[in-house]
Amino acid sequence: MENKFINIIVDNRAYQVIKGSTILETCKEIGIKIPSLCYLKDVSSNASCGICVVDVKGAKTLVRSCITQVNEGMEITTHSPAINQARTTNLELLLANHPKDCLICERNGNCELQELTVTLGIKDTPYAKTKPVEKIDDSSLSLVRNPEKCILCGRCIAVCAEVQTVHAIDFTGRGLRSIVSTYQDKGLGNVACTNCGQCALVCPTAAIVEKDETKEVFEDIYNKEKIVIVQTAPAIRVGIGEAMGMEQGALVTGKMVAALRKLGFDKVFDTQFTADLTIMEEGHELINRIKNGGTLPMITSCSPGWIKFIEHFYPKSLDHLSTCKSPQQMFGAVAKTYYAEKLNVDPRKIIVVSIMPCTAKKFECKRPEMNSAFSYWKDILNLTERDNFYDVDYVLTTRELAKMFKKTGIDFCTLQEEEFDKPLGISTGAGVIFGATGGVMEAAVRTAYEVLTGKPLNKIDLTAVRGFEGIKEAELDIKGTKVKVAVAHTLKNARALLDQIEEGKSPYAFIEVMTCPGGCLGGGGQAIPTTWEIRQKRADSIYKEDRLMPLRKSHDNPAIKAIYEEFLNEPLGHLSHELLHTHYEERGIY
Amino acid sequence: MKISDYTKLLEIKETASKKILPDKPYVAIGMGTCGIGRGAEVLFDSFERVIAERKLDIIIKKTGCFGFCAEEPLVNIYIPGKPLIILHRVTENDVIPLIIGIEKGIMPYRNVLCRIEEWDFITEKYEFGKGLTEYPLWNEVPFFKWQKKIVLRNCGLIVPDDIEEYIAVGGYFPLYNALHKMNPVSVIDEVKKSKLRGRGGAGFPTGVKWDLMAKVEGDQKYVICNADEGDPGAFMNRNEIESDPFMLIEGMTIGAFAMGASKGVVYIRAEYPLAVQRLKGAIKQAKDLGLLGDNILNSGFNFEIDIVEGAGAFVCGEETSLIHSIEGKSGRPSPRPPYPAEKGLYGKPTNINNVETWCNVPVIISKGGDWFTGTGTEKSPGTKVFSLVGKVKNTGLVELPLGSTLETIVFKIGEGTGTQKTVKAVQSGGPSGGCIPVEYLNTPVDYESLNSLGAIMGSGGMVVMDQDNCMVDVARYFTEFSNGESCGKCTPCREGLSQTLHILNKVTEGVATSEDLDALVKLGQVIKSTALCGLGQTAPNPVLTTLRYFRDEYDHHMIEKKCEPGICHSLFTALCENSCPLHMNIPRYLQLLKEDKLEDAFETSLRDNPLPGTLGRICHFHCQMKCLRETIDAPVSQGDIHRYIADTVYKEGKAQKIYARLIKEKLPPTYKKIAIIGAGPAGLTAAFYLVRLGHDVTVFDSESEAGGILRWGIPKYRLPLETLDTEINFIKELGVHFVFNTTVGKDISMEELERDYHKIIIAVGAHKDILLSVEGNELDGVVSGMDFLKDVAKGIKPDIGKNVVVIGAGNVAIDAARTAQRFGTDVTVVYRRLKGDMPANKDEIKEAEIEGVNFLFLCNPKEILADANDKVRGIELMKMECGDIDLSNRRKPVPTGESFIIGCDSVIMAVGEEVDAPFVKEFGLKISTDGVISADHFTFKTSHPKIYAIGDAVTGPATAAEAMGIAKKAAEVIDYKLMNKRRFHKLNRGFDYSDDVPLKPEGGNRHYAIKRPLEERTGNFKEINLGYSKDQAYAEAARCLRCDVRINTNTEEE
Repeated sequence: MENKFINIIVDNRAYQVIKGSTILETCKEIGIKIPSLCYLKDVSSNASCGICVVDVKGAKTLVRSCITQVNEGMEITTHSPAINQARTTNLELLLANHPKDCLICERNGNCELQELTVTLGIKDTPYAKTKPVEKIDDSSLSLVRNPEKCILCGRCIAVCAEVQTVHAIDFTGRGLRSIVSTYQDKGLGNVACTNCGQCALVCPTAAIVEKDETKEVFEDIYNKEKIVIVQTAPAIRVGIGEAMGMEQGALVTGKMVAALRKLGFDKVFDTQFTADLTIMEEGHELINRIKNGGTLPMITSCSPGWIKFIEHFYPKSLDHLSTCKSPQQMFGAVAKTYYAEKLNVDPRKIIVVSIMPCTAKKFECKRPEMNSAFSYWKDILNLTERDNFYDVDYVLTTRELAKMFKKTGIDFCTLQEEEFDKPLGISTGAGVIFGATGGVMEAAVRTAYEVLTGKPLNKIDLTAVRGFEGIKEAELDIKGTKVKVAVAHTLKNARALLDQIEEGKSPYAFIEVMTCPGGCLGGGGQAIPTTWEIRQKRADSIYKEDRLMPLRKSHDNPAIKAIYEEFLNEPLGHLSHELLHTHYEERGIY
Repeated sequence: MKISDYTKLLEIKETASKKILPDKPYVAIGMGTCGIGRGAEVLFDSFERVIAERKLDIIIKKTGCFGFCAEEPLVNIYIPGKPLIILHRVTENDVIPLIIGIEKGIMPYRNVLCRIEEWDFITEKYEFGKGLTEYPLWNEVPFFKWQKKIVLRNCGLIVPDDIEEYIAVGGYFPLYNALHKMNPVSVIDEVKKSKLRGRGGAGFPTGVKWDLMAKVEGDQKYVICNADEGDPGAFMNRNEIESDPFMLIEGMTIGAFAMGASKGVVYIRAEYPLAVQRLKGAIKQAKDLGLLGDNILNSGFNFEIDIVEGAGAFVCGEETSLIHSIEGKSGRPSPRPPYPAEKGLYGKPTNINNVETWCNVPVIISKGGDWFTGTGTEKSPGTKVFSLVGKVKNTGLVELPLGSTLETIVFKIGEGTGTQKTVKAVQSGGPSGGCIPVEYLNTPVDYESLNSLGAIMGSGGMVVMDQDNCMVDVARYFTEFSNGESCGKCTPCREGLSQTLHILNKVTEGVATSEDLDALVKLGQVIKSTALCGLGQTAPNPVLTTLRYFRDEYDHHMIEKKCEPGICHSLFTALCENSCPLHMNIPRYLQLLKEDKLEDAFETSLRDNPLPGTLGRICHFHCQMKCLRETIDAPVSQGDIHRYIADTVYKEGKAQKIYARLIKEKLPPTYKKIAIIGAGPAGLTAAFYLVRLGHDVTVFDSESEAGGILRWGIPKYRLPLETLDTEINFIKELGVHFVFNTTVGKDISMEELERDYHKIIIAVGAHKDILLSVEGNELDGVVSGMDFLKDVAKGIKPDIGKNVVVIGAGNVAIDAARTAQRFGTDVTVVYRRLKGDMPANKDEIKEAEIEGVNFLFLCNPKEILADANDKVRGIELMKMECGDIDLSNRRKPVPTGESFIIGCDSVIMAVGEEVDAPFVKEFGLKISTDGVISADHFTFKTSHPKIYAIGDAVTGPATAAEAMGIAKKAAEVIDYKLMNKRRFHKLNRGFDYSDDVPLKPEGGNRHYAIKRPLEERTGNFKEINLGYSKDQAYAEAARCLRCDVRINTNTEEE
C-alpha cells in the first residue's frame, strides 16, 4: 500500500499529514484557518479570488491553497507581510466595485464577503469604483440576480453546471465586464433554468437571492377579509430552527406551528397531509401502470426543479412522469375546494401560503395550469377568466419565513410547542420523509406494498434508499414479483437515469427524483449555509420525526380516509383527476 | 502521389532544385502581409501582365517576406549565373525598366538593396552566382549584418505555396531521418541536447517538456502550435507561417512522432487570414505527398493537423485558455496543475509549443543539438526572431543569436530612430514586457537578463520609443490593452488592472497623488504574485518598469502637471505651449495678432516671458519642434511672430502703457527680501515675477551691467543691445534693485546674504569653457570661446591672428566662429561628428556657412602645435570615420589613424561649459557629481532651506528659455513658501479672443524673415535677421491650426 502520510512544514513547524489533500484543507486540519472566499468545499474551486494565497518555497508566485495539493517536503508559509498584503489588496479590489450597502443588504450578517472583511481587518476601501453598473435580473419568478453584488467567485456556475448539469448561467464578457449571465443575457426567467436555487444557496453574497414575497404575505395576513392559511413542507421543520439561530438540523415542528400562528395565519396546516394524499394517488398510478402496461419506469413529480428540467432537456420522456401534482399543489387545490366547502366560504377569500425549502416552488405555483380550484368553482360561482386565481398564492422559503418571524418579534426558541390545525394538518411518517432523498420512494413502497399484497409491511424502514449516495437502488419483492426502483438526487444523477431510459436500458419500474442535493432538506430555499454535514443532521431529524409518528403509512392517515370518503371518492377518480393530477409541456433548451 | 521512400524524396529534391536555380531568369515578389500592404500585389499583377504581354520566358514567383518591412515591397531578381539581387521599395513604375533589363540580362541598377551570392538554407546550400560587386552583399547591409537566420532561413527566398521548393532546400529530410533513422527517444534527446527553450516567452526547455509528455500514457495525445500572436507590434509568427509554413508543419510532425501524438492543432488567430490560407494549402500539399496523414513516409506513423482559428483574444496565448478555446469554451485559464501534459485538450495529454519553437526543430534534427548550441549563449542557445517596430529607422523582422545586446538590435540593425530624436526606451515583450531605458541597452537579450530588468523576452515584440513618447502614456496604453484582454476570471487581474488603469489615467490627467503611485507599485506586486495566469502575472510589467526607470516622468505629471513629450492632452494647452519652457500661451498671441490686437498680443507674451524681444531673436524655438502644422507643410514660426510683436510695440512706443499696467498691478509689499545672484536670463526672470508679487528683490552681479550670457555671450548681430536694454530697463522700472560689480564670496559673503535676506536664489549660469584635454591646450593662442565672446562684447579687440580654428559644434562655437570672422580672419570650425549631428541652431550654422566660415567634419584635434615661442602655429587633426550608431542616436566617430595638420594662429575651444561659482562650494551647498548645484527638480531648493538654485547652474548648459522656465517655476514656489498661499496666478489676466478653428489651413507656406545681405555684414555686428514685415507676420500667425481649442465631447471611458 502506498504511503498515506507525508511530511510538510507549515510556518516553520513540521507536520505529518494525509496525502492527497489541498493546502487549505490540510491547514484546517492542523488548526490554521487560511482565509478564503471563492472556494466552497464540494462545490467549487474556481481559484479566482486570490485570497487563500500562501507562500510555497520554490514557487514563482504565491500559490492558491484551495487548489494546490500538499506534497512531500513542501514548505508552506501561511502568513507574512507579502501574503497579508496580497490578501488585503485582493479583498480591497473586490470591495472597490462591490456596493457598500451592507446595512440594507439581504445577506447582512450572513455574508462571506462581509465576514472576510472583518477577518482581514479591512478599514478602508482605497480603490475607486471602476465597473459599470449592470442591470438586475428579475425575470425569474423564483430568483433575483444582482450582478453588482457578484464577486465572480463562480460557485453558482459550478453548482449549476456540475451538480445540476443545467448550465443556465456562465461567465460572459471579458475583464471588468465579466459577469455571470444567462444565454444571450435573456435573464433566468427566459432560459433553461430549473429555479432550483442551489446558486442562491452557495452564493457568498446577495448576488443571487430568492424573489422576496414577504411583503405581500404580510399584507394579506393583516387583511381582515382574507382567510390566510399556511402549509409547511416536511423539510421546514428541520430547517427553520437553524435559520432562527438554533443548532443545525434542529427538529422544531411544534415551535414552528406556534410561531406561524403567532405570525397571524388563520390556519396552520401541513403539506405532509397532501404528501400522504400524493402517495395514495401516485401509488395507485404506479400500480395501474404496472398492471395495465403503462409507461415505465414511472418517475415522481413532486420536485418542481426536476419537472422543469425534464421539460427542457428530456421532453421525449415526459410520459414517464407521474401525472400527480406535487403535494404543495395538491394542498392548494384541496384547500380551495374541499376545505372551502367545509368552511363554507367563497374560495376567493382563501389565501394559501406555502412555506417551502425550495425556490422552484415559487415558479410552480404560478404555472398557468395550477388553477384547478378556479376551474372547479368556475361554473358553480359563475366566474369569468378575469376572476382566475391560483391554487397556491405565495411560496415563501425557509429564509423568508425566518425574516418574518424576526420582524414580528417572535422569540422562536422559547415558544411552547403547538399542534397543526385539522383536518389538513394531519399526517403520517410517510409524509415527513418526503423531505429527504429516498423519502417519496419509501413512503410509496409502504403503501403500494400493502395495497398490492393486502398484507401489512413488516419492515417499514426501506434503508436501501436512504442516505446521500447519488443514485440508490432497491429491489422489492411484491408477491413474488421483483420490482426494481431507483432514487436520484441532484439533476446530474437524474440525467444519468434519464439517459438510461432514453437508451431503453432502464431496469426500473419506479424512480424518485429530487432536484436538490440531499432532497428537499438541502433545498435552494433552506438556511445558509447548507453543507453535507448540515444536510446529514437535517436528515437525521427527518427520520427521527418519522420514527416518532404514531402513524407511518399514508393510507393509515384518517384525514386521508376522510377526504376520499367525503370528497374525492377514490384514488384516480374523476375529481382526483381534476384537482390532483396535471400535465407537462415541452420547453426548448433556449 | 505519396512519397514512399528516400529515393523518391531525393528525386523530388533533385527536380525541384531547378526551381531554386532555374536556367532562366525569375522575378520573385515578397508577398507577406507586410509586402502586400505596401503594394506587392499590384506589383505582382503588373509584372505578370508585362511578362505575359511580351511573351517573355521569365518565371514569376510569390515568395514570403525577407524581413525588411521598412523597405517593402522587396523583389528578388535572378538571372542564371549571377547573384540573386534583392530590390527594395519597388513601384509599378519600375516594372517595365526591370523587365527590359532582365530580358537583356542586365541587372537593375536602381532600388538595389543587396546581392546574395550564396545562401545557406542550413538544410541545404545554394550558390546563385558571383559578381555584381557594385552592390553590397546582403550581410554588408546594416539591417542584415548582425543577423543570423536559422528560423527565417527560407523566408523570402522560397515560394511558401510550393512544397517542392521546401524539399529543394532540404525540407522533410529531417523528418525522414527522424522516422527512419531515429526513434522517439533519440529525437527528444537531440532536442534536449540543443537546449532549445520555448520561444513563446517563458523559455521552458523544450526537450524537457517533450520528455514529460512522452512519458505520459494515453490512448490519444495532441500537439498544439500556439500561433495566437497577440502582442501589439509583434508579427514574427505571422511571417514565419506566411513565408515558410512547411517548416512549422515538419517541426510539429517530428515533435508528434517524438511524443507519440497522432493529432495536431494549429491555433491561429483569425486576423491572420493569409497565414491561415497558406497553412491550409501547405497541409493539403503535405498530405498529398504522404508527409501528413496515415503512414507518413511509409513509416507507420500517423499524424493529422487541424487548424483552429481563434477570435483573437490575447489571453488565448495562455496554454490552458488556448485549450479551452479549441474545445469551444470561452478562453479562460484554469489553474495548473494539472499541466496539459497530464490533462490537456479534451482531457488528453497535450503538448503546446509556440510557432518559432516548432520551426527550430527540423534544423536541430538536421544539424544536431550540438550544432545548435554553437549559436547564442550557454543558457540560451540559438537565435530569436524579433519584430522591430516603433521609432526606429529599419523596422522589420530580425533574427539574431540570443545574447546579442539590445543595442545591436536598436542601433546597429535598426540604425536608431532615423530622425534627430533620441531613443528613450525599448519595450520588449509587448504588454507583458517591460520598458528598458536606453542606458540599459547594452544588456544581452536572453531570458534571464531581460527578467532581471523587469522585462521579459515575450514572443519577441520590440517597440522602440523616442523622446516624443510619454512613458506614463506607454504604461497606460499597455495596461489598457491588458485590462481589455483580461479574461476577468481572477480578482487581481480583473480588478487590479482596472484600478491600475484608473490610476494611470489620473496620472495622465495630472490628478494623481504620491499615494496613487505607491498604490501602483502595490497593485503591480500583488497582481504579479497572485494572478492566475501569465497574462496577469506579467501585465504589471510596463507599469512597474516605467515606475522604476522613468519615475521622473510620473513626477512631472503628478507634481508639475506637465507631460513633456506632449502626449497626455489634459496637461497642456497646445503642443507649442507644452514644448515652450516658459509655457507661453502661443496660440493666444498668434490669435490676438490675427485679430489685430497687437498690444494684447504683446501683453500676453510679456506676462509669460519678461524678455519677449530678446527671446524672439535668440530662442531655440522649442515650440516649432512640435508644431502640428508641420504635419501639413512646415511649423509655424512662432518665434518670428513673437519678435515682430515686441519690436512693433517698442517701435510704436506702445510698450510704456502696458508696462504701467503691470507696475500698477504689483501686489502690495510683502516686506520679504530676496537676493538673486546673477543677472542673466534666469536671474532676471525670477526677479521679474517676484517683484511683481510684492517682494523686495535685489540682484547681484559681478559684471557692470545686467543680461549675463545675453549681453556677454551672444553676439550683437544676433541680439542688438537696444532690445535687451529696453527689456532689462522695464525690470528695473518694476522695482528690482541691481547691485553690480559685486562678486559673491569676494565682495559680499553668502553669510551676509543669508542673514539679510529671506530667500537667496543662485542663478550664476554655466559659462566656464571646458578645456579639451588635448596636447597643447595651454599654449598661447588657445582661447576659451566664452572668454573670447565676452571680450568682444566688452569692446576689446581680440588678438587672434589671421587663421582661427574653432573646436566645437554648439551655439558658442558658431557664435565664436562668426564673431572671429567679423575681425577679418579665416575661420575653420572643427567637429568630430557629422554636420547633421551639430547641436547648434540649424539656422546659425547655415548663416555661418553663408558668411564663409569653413567646416571640417569628422575631424578631432590630436595636438595643438606650437612655434618656438610656445605660440599656436597649427593643429593636427585626426580624421574620423562613422562607426555604428551609439546610444545618442548618432554615429560614433571612430579614429581612422590618419591625421593632417592645418596651420592657424589661434584655437578657440568651445566644446561645452560648466558652472563656475566657487562660493557655492565654500558655503557648503551640495554639488552633484557633474558639477552643477544639487537642487530639487520641482522646487529648485538646494541643500540649504533658504537657498534656491536655478538655470544652467542646476541643469548645466541649456537654452536661455529653459533657464527662464525654471526661474519662473522657482518664483512660484518661493512665493508660496514665503506667503503660504497660492498667489502666482494673480499675475495673469484674461484676454478676449476668438476660439474659431480655421476649417482649412490658412496663411500659405511658411514665411521667412528677410536677412541682411551678405555684403552688409562684413566687419560689423549689425543685426542679421531683419524680422517680419507686417504682412508676413499676419500671414504667418494665420497659419496656426489652433490645436489649443478643444471640443468637449465627454467621451470618457467608464
